Amino acid sequence: MAPTNTEIAHRLSALTAPQRRRLNRSAVAAVVAETLWLPQAALLAWGLAGMATGQPLPLRWMGLGVAGLGLARAGLALFGAAQSEAAADAVIGSARLDCLRRADRRAPEASAPSSAATAALIVDKLAMLRPYLLRWHPAQARVAVVPLLILGISFAVSWAAGLILAISGPLIPIFMALIGLAARDASARQMDEIAGLNAMLIDRLAALIDIRLLDARDRMLADFEHRADHLRRRTLEVLRIAFLSSAVLELFAALGVAMMAVFVGFSLLGQLGFGTWGEAITIGEGIFLLLMAPAFFQPLRDMAAAWHDRVAAQSVARDLLADQATGDPQIIGQGGSAPARGGPIAVRGLVLRGRDMPDLDIAPGEAVALTGVSGGGKSSLLLALAGLIPSVGAVRIGGAVLDDKTADAWRAGLALIPQKIHFLDATLRENLAPDASDTEIAAAIQLARASAVVARLPDGLQTRLGEEGAGVSGGEARRLIIARAALRQPAVILADEPTADLDDQTAAAVIEGLLGLHRRGATLIAATHDPRLIAALPRRIEVGP
Amino acid sequence: MRSLWHILRLIWRDRGAAMRRGLALTVVVSLFGIGLLALSGWFIVAAGVAGLAGLGTVFDVFRPSAGVRFLAIARTAARYGERLLTHDATLKALASLRVRLLAGVSAADFAVVSRLRAGATLNRLTADVDALDGLAIRLIFPALAGLIASIATLIGLWYLVAPVVALWAVGVTVLGGVVVLVLAGRAAFIPASRAETRQQALRAGVIAHLRGRAQLVVAGRLLDSRNTLLDQDRAARRDALQQSRVEWRAAAMLQAVAAVALSGTLVLAGQHVLDGRIGPAQAALAVLATLAMAELTAALQRGAAELGRMRDAAGRIVAALETPPTILIAASETAPGLRLCGLSVAPLPGLRPVVANLDLTILPGETVALTGPSGRGKTAVLNTVAGLVPAVSGRVRAGGRVGYLTQRPALIAGTVRDTLKLASPDADDGPMRDVLAACALDLPLDTRLGEGGAGLSGGQSRRLALARTLIRRPDILLLDEPTEGLDAATATAMMHGIREWLPQAAILIAAHRDHDLIPATRIVVL
Repeated sequence: MAPTNTEIAHRLSALTAPQRRRLNRSAVAAVVAETLWLPQAALLAWGLAGMATGQPLPLRWMGLGVAGLGLARAGLALFGAAQSEAAADAVIGSARLDCLRRADRRAPEASAPSSAATAALIVDKLAMLRPYLLRWHPAQARVAVVPLLILGISFAVSWAAGLILAISGPLIPIFMALIGLAARDASARQMDEIAGLNAMLIDRLAALIDIRLLDARDRMLADFEHRADHLRRRTLEVLRIAFLSSAVLELFAALGVAMMAVFVGFSLLGQLGFGTWGEAITIGEGIFLLLMAPAFFQPLRDMAAAWHDRVAAQSVARDLLADQATGDPQIIGQGGSAPARGGPIAVRGLVLRGRDMPDLDIAPGEAVALTGVSGGGKSSLLLALAGLIPSVGAVRIGGAVLDDKTADAWRAGLALIPQKIHFLDATLRENLAPDASDTEIAAAIQLARASAVVARLPDGLQTRLGEEGAGVSGGEARRLIIARAALRQPAVILADEPTADLDDQTAAAVIEGLLGLHRRGATLIAATHDPRLIAALPRRIEVGP
Repeated sequence: MRSLWHILRLIWRDRGAAMRRGLALTVVVSLFGIGLLALSGWFIVAAGVAGLAGLGTVFDVFRPSAGVRFLAIARTAARYGERLLTHDATLKALASLRVRLLAGVSAADFAVVSRLRAGATLNRLTADVDALDGLAIRLIFPALAGLIASIATLIGLWYLVAPVVALWAVGVTVLGGVVVLVLAGRAAFIPASRAETRQQALRAGVIAHLRGRAQLVVAGRLLDSRNTLLDQDRAARRDALQQSRVEWRAAAMLQAVAAVALSGTLVLAGQHVLDGRIGPAQAALAVLATLAMAELTAALQRGAAELGRMRDAAGRIVAALETPPTILIAASETAPGLRLCGLSVAPLPGLRPVVANLDLTILPGETVALTGPSGRGKTAVLNTVAGLVPAVSGRVRAGGRVGYLTQRPALIAGTVRDTLKLASPDADDGPMRDVLAACALDLPLDTRLGEGGAGLSGGQSRRLALARTLIRRPDILLLDEPTEGLDAATATAMMHGIREWLPQAAILIAAHRDHDLIPATRIVVL
């Protein structure tokens, strides 16, 4: 369900609400800077009129006045930008924190949004709030004040000149509103496409070797080219509308200036007998009116130029709403460190992905094999025991329900050996245990029979492995992960197919290592179908149909 | 800077005609903008003077007023055309740059690809290319057009008004503008490229944090990792702030330059009028032209602030484009079957060989199991046979198409059907179901897989990857631990299914356990 425009507007103003004071100060500075143009233009008009009529002029003072007012405007612009900038920075920072907190507690499951898409939202899209606050906000304030002021003054000088502005002015917001509506839809589609393109790219990059082995490289490239071209066309679609909107605006602005010049020129020649409140227009008034015409349109043009930023910000708000709305299952607990707390495990009436899990009671120090057909839910059960997917109170540890309060303490005594190996983007040493001493690491590596593996790596413990452990074989990667588990000196070990990829000799050694930890008192729960491991464990629980 | 020129040349070569037209229109837009205000000012004052002198009836009103109207409309049209042309040309050039880059990365060395950090490469491909979109539009075009328009204005004011006024109006605007922009470009150089690097690092960090979150949670390090990211975010925002500060400071300075130029023109032109050297209408022309010229430099502001970012992005892209691609193709020969002659292999090029002098012949219909303890080079042999890694010495003679199920195959997001189509685009649903059945996999073709094939169990994804390999009906099939993660019954059914599906294939299997499940005609121990 797509959020409505009102919801988007609310989300956006909720984002910026804590910074309202700074934003207001910046808006006031922008308006004052713009109004200073009026005396500046009056000085110019006075000077030029004086030259035409031959009056004596304090030329130097006028020059100083023009320059001084211009410098004051520049200073105000500087102040306003600094205020907006500080506001934008604070808004982006708190939105990022909020998003990250939500995303990193999502349960690791298929339905979670892709990491690339979430990263794009947190890093790139939220950054688009900066130009929105820096440009759109002040432009909006100026549009509310400056054109009306100029309109009033022009009317006071000549009703016909006021009429020229009044006619060409109000049409613009109507045009802009129409074009803006279309542009927002187009831009929303473009943003989706960018996220999709990034997700597709990261997915293909992870599978590059497979793609090459399947001779699918050309197909993949053709597909990507097609997508990239699609993105380009979408982008241009957005831009075309944006260009059209600014073209309409510029046309009105240019016509406004042209009509004003023609009207004033003809009036001064005495060929037009209307448009004033009695007396004819003077040269000075005429020049002043001419200078007012572009200034009347300038805030509107700036707003049109910032329209894109606003559309982008609305799109960010829409994505934030969508991100908040996903009812994705969350991990239990905070994921922080806590003093370890264990106890007997009890599972009653747990249902995972629509499958009934067997009721379990596992006492501390037991060693259990979870067996069952492939795809029967062994891995999900392990994830639930680790509190990584919700178990709605069906799991109890030491009598206490596994929930947000107890999960971190439970996991502090837990080691998980996953089926799909994942290394963090760091050195092997940091992956194993950042704080452990050399002797501890050496002992753990010894226990996991991985000494030869580490010795063979180019930089030993300082080697950076690919995310999936490139540079070591499957069996070697698994032994490193077992070493990591050993280093946690866990009270409970959850292992998902720990002897997969291992030959008899190494498997026996690893089983011996796991049993060694078990003999030190650790509970061992292994999901496996490896007869060697099943035979080594005293208890077996069948999972699945 | 060299890389920026390189990219610019690429864009220009791809879309030269459109770019030249775009540049011409940019010049027209700038000149017409200045012309509109200047002519209007001249017209009003000249008309006023004529009116005062009672010459209102003989004053030629037609040509100036038509000129004003023409400039107003033509400028708008030129603006629209210019924007559309330059943006379309740039986007087209950037799209082809993206494809070239992906082609380059996907052809790189096995070692490079297997160590590839998906996050970092993604950044390079998307963000770096995006960073370059402003190169032509925000920097090159406004700079060239501004220069040409300034020269034209200088000439115009020189002859129409007075040389001194022309020199002041154009000189202060151009020199002041150039000084401010060069200063801004310099000041933004390091912050801009650092902001970009930090943002990319942050993105890569967020991706790694989210992908590794299960591991981080169990280790109790999720909060630490998040706090590290938040520190990175603060640093990235600080740099972005610094870069943006340069930009708006430059904007304010340009405003100040414009104010000085304007007031000087007023004073100078006024003095000329008082001295009787020019008429008041000419003075009005000069003042309004100076006012309009401020837009020339304002257009360049953002481009100058982004220069550092663009230079870095261009450097990385050019480096990636210039890496010579390596594509290894398995040596093939007409004799069916697979022959390895005195083959020595290493896990990656440059490492010590783990298998030396292996001789092996596998005839069509034969199944050979390669066994031995973990780390003895079984996978390295298969990688070499498949052509991913070059042989240290010896030869591989493969008669026909090679199919290879790697130890950790990667699936892609999409449906099961999409996965199979990647391997065989023309396959129909019938053969797809058959091949899934051969792999003992009972999965509807419309099943959706998440990122990297998420949503399937370990055993299911391996079998789907196998089906993807089999559907191409390879003559030579290489399998690395095919029964991994499967229960005995499924494994037996699958191995049986493979042979039925490919009765004539030469099959080489790396297996260190479960080889009792593999119906091998021969077993080779490494």
